[in-house]
Amino acid sequence: MWKYILKRLLLLIFTLFLVITVTFFLMQIMPGTPFNNPKLTPEALAQLKTTYGLDLPLWQQYLNYLIGAAHGDFGTSFQYQNQPVSMLIGQRLPVSAQLGAQALVVGVIAGLFMGAASARNKNNKIDGTLGVISTLGISIPSFILGIVLVYVFGFKWPLFPVSGWGDSFSQTILPTIALAVSPAAVTTRFVRSEMIESLGSDYVQLAKAKGLSAKEIVNQHAYRNSMIPVLTLIGPMAAGLLTGSTLIEQIFSIPGIGQQFVLSIPSKDFPVIMGTTIVYSAMLMVMILITDILTAIIDPRVRLQ
Amino acid sequence: MSNPILKVENLHVNFNTYAGTVQAIRDVSFDLNEGETLAIVGESGSGKSVTTKTLMGLNAKNASIPDNSRLLFKDRNLLDLKESEWQSVRGNEIAMIFQDPMTSLDPTMKIGMQIAEPLIKHRQMKKEDALARALELMKGVGIPNAEGHINDYPHQWSGGMRQRAVVAIALAADPEILIADEPTTALDVTIQAQILNLMKDLQKETGSSIIFITHDLGVVAGMANRVAVMYAGKIVEYGTVDEIFFNPQHPYTWGLLNSMPTTDTQVGSLEAIPGTPPDLLMPPKGDAFASRNVYALAIDSKEEPPFFRVSDTHYAATWLLDERAPKVTPPLQIQKRWARWQEIQGQEA
Repeated sequence: MWKYILKRLLLLIFTLFLVITVTFFLMQIMPGTPFNNPKLTPEALAQLKTTYGLDLPLWQQYLNYLIGAAHGDFGTSFQYQNQPVSMLIGQRLPVSAQLGAQALVVGVIAGLFMGAASARNKNNKIDGTLGVISTLGISIPSFILGIVLVYVFGFKWPLFPVSGWGDSFSQTILPTIALAVSPAAVTTRFVRSEMIESLGSDYVQLAKAKGLSAKEIVNQHAYRNSMIPVLTLIGPMAAGLLTGSTLIEQIFSIPGIGQQFVLSIPSKDFPVIMGTTIVYSAMLMVMILITDILTAIIDPRVRLQ
Repeated sequence: MSNPILKVENLHVNFNTYAGTVQAIRDVSFDLNEGETLAIVGESGSGKSVTTKTLMGLNAKNASIPDNSRLLFKDRNLLDLKESEWQSVRGNEIAMIFQDPMTSLDPTMKIGMQIAEPLIKHRQMKKEDALARALELMKGVGIPNAEGHINDYPHQWSGGMRQRAVVAIALAADPEILIADEPTTALDVTIQAQILNLMKDLQKETGSSIIFITHDLGVVAGMANRVAVMYAGKIVEYGTVDEIFFNPQHPYTWGLLNSMPTTDTQVGSLEAIPGTPPDLLMPPKGDAFASRNVYALAIDSKEEPPFFRVSDTHYAATWLLDERAPKVTPPLQIQKRWARWQEIQGQEA
């Protein structure tokens, strides 16, 4: 087990190296320059390029970046002068990660309950209602939901604060809900179909023949078996949520990393693009690794090797 | 011996589908005596599996059972039970052995725990006590080194071993009636014999009654005391195992026995019953078997045959037994069986 995890972590570092390489050279293809202020004199531009090492040959820039990255130095932002990228991410990632984690927990737990309720009441009113709710949850974009929440709970009935971060927990409630709806809806649909399959299986027939009640069958047999495929869905979902949502962070004025990632692209802030890409890739791979470990814990047929 | 523990009276089971009502069970009555093994035999779609599911209260939601149907067990009609009452019958008083051991066990639960579950549910045992009893049951069904395997998961076991676990689950709460739904169909022939012997031995120990569902007459001969032959949702002939094997009267039973290969069977000459069973959305008028029956009489397509008595224990629903019916000569194989029956009778007399 530990050997396997170590192997996966080494593989993760290698994959990150590939991600860095591909992203680095892709950025060079992007047209334009980070320094597009028309007031800049050619001398000043040359000065800037020297400061950021952009006058060096490409291979040397690449090598410098790799050596820096290996030492935990991801360069300095072009946009926010003198702000090291690692500091920028270090400040903003925890905010996004907390919001994402809250949304993930709320969304997945709600999805597990609603999916199971839907499957147990297959094709009746409860299932139909939950089906409509989850379809809406998947199809309504989170930013529209965010705006509706701001209007309803911030303006019409001002129950929760609608902007800011870090002052009180109540600030996190509306953005968490806005962000949790889509994962909850996706999880509901997925759990429903997996649970229906599980409830139709032979081992559930045998559990019925043992005299177990519907509730006991779901809790003791169906949930665990349905969770195995559901986990593969939750891994990438978690990576997406933890690395921030641009739109939700914008609506609720949350100083997260999602905004950073998007803004860095039009302004060609190379070090920030690189940094956030690395963070996202690393997060995705760690989540997939955690998913694999959890799958091996739940499903005895899976061996980690 | 003839002390019925379960009486099935006028059982009808209909399934309401979009295409119409499927009459899966059409007036089935039989008794199950204490300590005996009753085999229910028939081809696919004859209604034998629906019969067992009805006995467990596990029919699909679209099943409907008319009020005059009765399943009498311990002074009550099981068909009147609520779901919560059924739960205290299932796995406790009536238990079931399933067909396919490869899919019947929960892949994510330890086998010991799966055997312990009925004990925790019905005997209110603590988990440790139930697991201790599960270990005894595992030994009882012949699992070698049971201590070392109680924490195994199903995928670590072979099909034969898993079927032993399925038997142990059924036996856990010491049921009065055991329903075995083709328990050896999914197993190798050598393993089949082991499981059948195991069931016989366990029956001797526990004295439970067994309803044995199968389409394999070869298995019936070694297992059952009595046999009921089902066709198109009805019982067409029933009797003791010797009566069915050596003095069969219904042409369908003849067909079943004939299609069982013996050492006399010539190479390349497997017998089959021509045609397919009728569509139970619209059961035919008269004898449902008539269209596949070379011995069919004119009356078969008009009127359904009642049960004719062959002996006190042996009845068959075929017009051939009516005194007005012409005497027909059954297939050669059956004539040989009848001759053997005469010998047996002669020896007994």
